[in-house]
Amino acid sequence: MVATLMRRGLSSVTSILILTSLVFAVAELTPGGPAQTILGLHTTAEAVKALNHALGLDQPIYIQYLTWWGHLLQGNLGYSLIQHQSVVAVIGQYLGNTAVLDSVSLLLAILLSLGIGIVQGANANTWISKVISVGQFFLYAMPIFWLGIVLIYIFSVTLNWLPSGGAQDLAESNFDLVTYVRHLILPTVTLTLIFTSFFSRYMGTSARLEFQQAYVTVAVAKGAAPVRIALLHVMRNAARPLVTMVGLFLPWIFAGGVVVEEVFNFPGLGYLLWQSAIQHDYPVLIVIVMIIGLLTIIGNLLADIINSMLDVRVRYE
Amino acid sequence: MSSQGIPLSAPSGRARALPGLTWLGWVSGRPPQLLLGSVLLLAIVLVTFVGPLVYRASPYTINPLLQLAPPSAQALMGTDQIGRDELARIIAGGQDSLIVGFAASALAVLVGLLYGLSAGLGPKLGDQILMRVLDALLSVPTLVILIFLASFFRMSDAVLILLLGLTSWPRPARVIRNETFATRGKDFVTASRQFGARPLFVARTHILRMILPILVVNFVFLVADNILALSFLSFLGLGVPPPIPTWGNLLTDGLQNIFSNSWWLIYPPGLMIFFSVIAVNAIGEGIVTAMERS
Repeated sequence: MVATLMRRGLSSVTSILILTSLVFAVAELTPGGPAQTILGLHTTAEAVKALNHALGLDQPIYIQYLTWWGHLLQGNLGYSLIQHQSVVAVIGQYLGNTAVLDSVSLLLAILLSLGIGIVQGANANTWISKVISVGQFFLYAMPIFWLGIVLIYIFSVTLNWLPSGGAQDLAESNFDLVTYVRHLILPTVTLTLIFTSFFSRYMGTSARLEFQQAYVTVAVAKGAAPVRIALLHVMRNAARPLVTMVGLFLPWIFAGGVVVEEVFNFPGLGYLLWQSAIQHDYPVLIVIVMIIGLLTIIGNLLADIINSMLDVRVRYE
Repeated sequence: MSSQGIPLSAPSGRARALPGLTWLGWVSGRPPQLLLGSVLLLAIVLVTFVGPLVYRASPYTINPLLQLAPPSAQALMGTDQIGRDELARIIAGGQDSLIVGFAASALAVLVGLLYGLSAGLGPKLGDQILMRVLDALLSVPTLVILIFLASFFRMSDAVLILLLGLTSWPRPARVIRNETFATRGKDFVTASRQFGARPLFVARTHILRMILPILVVNFVFLVADNILALSFLSFLGLGVPPPIPTWGNLLTDGLQNIFSNSWWLIYPPGLMIFFSVIAVNAIGEGIVTAMERS
């Protein structure tokens, strides 16, 4: 287990090195560069040149890359070219919202998927499981952003129950939990639906296979209640592939969050990514890409650890 | 098996003399998803490519007297905020979505094939390096990379094909590498090698033939992914510039005018994306089911 973790850790470091250099190489492609973006169209070539020099952007790309790493190791992630703050401060304002949105949706989706999957597995080859799989198939093909728009149309425009977008600032002095939650509902529902359509499919297949195992027959023969078998015996074993799935699909989970944040103007990392991409704010962009990469790698490690806790056999491999 | 009890595979030539019957036999032997998906995709292709010949309204003509008008005889699916015909815009937007989606996926599978084959057939060190690069690319969602890259380019269909194609190849590449790796250890490949077959010959005649079904399935599912990614980029304003319509930027218009209750700007473009993805996914699942049966 320790050896596996070490190997994983090492390959993660390589991944991050490759990733950051790729992002840097691409940033070099921009015509005019960030200086042009900051100064706007009505400026002189000299002004652009001077600003490029001041920002260190006129140096060769590998020098910039090494400088960036030097600063990073000193705890300096750079400064936003647009917002005139450190990248840490900018990202700090958005990170909390994304963490809340993604983790609440993921948690709800996992709980729902466990339940739906067990129901589907227990009723394999009946109309119940067929209805569920048709639902999963259609929901999975639903473009996330369109689902968001449709929900806005129904719940904000037609029924006027919930706000159509935005969010209350977590750091605001007159922070109101009710307002915050009201803004959170629609984005969370959108994400949860999409995640559930995907994960419950895997859970359903895995539960169906578990229900065919001999231990289920034994439990039935001993007279255990069906609910007890489903929740105590099958759930634990059937959940293992789901854990791996969630770990493997973390990039996809973040991507879902990015989409939803943009539809609902929800001020999280995905929204910041979009704004930074439009404004060519590379120092922010590169750190967001790195954070998402890092979280994915950590998530995969966590999935390995949780799996070893659910199944003793994995620990000794 | 036909109802008359004549086996369709009979070498007598009788079955072949009845082409209609063999066709029916072919269809009835396939998974239903394959048929439903193909019919739906064909319908979408017909609407978007033959539609303009039937429905003559221009997607660009502005009609100031008919802004945000609901569906009527004048404009079958209503008009947008500056009075352009919504149905004409959906039809025009569909052509690009389908062309870019298919072309980008073909490019991605091609790149993935070359990458996967070189990793799977090359020396061990090369394989390890290529796989680490792949891990790095796969640790960040394609969509995030796309948003990042899209901000650098002035968009056209050609640029979008390149961009989507060159960001979506890592997943097929990994599958192809694993399959190649598994196939290369098989006895018949080893035998062929020992007879002196060159690596390129082995790749072409043995490996490629073995991994072809997986290649096709990956291509089909990629098309769905790429149609979705393309619409989302357009929705964010990072696709082809206006006034060119795409299913994605039609939804941007829909969202911006959502409080004028203009449902006709929200449902039709979204449904087109939805149906295209369903059609393509159904075809993919149909192929997978057919492969599992054989």
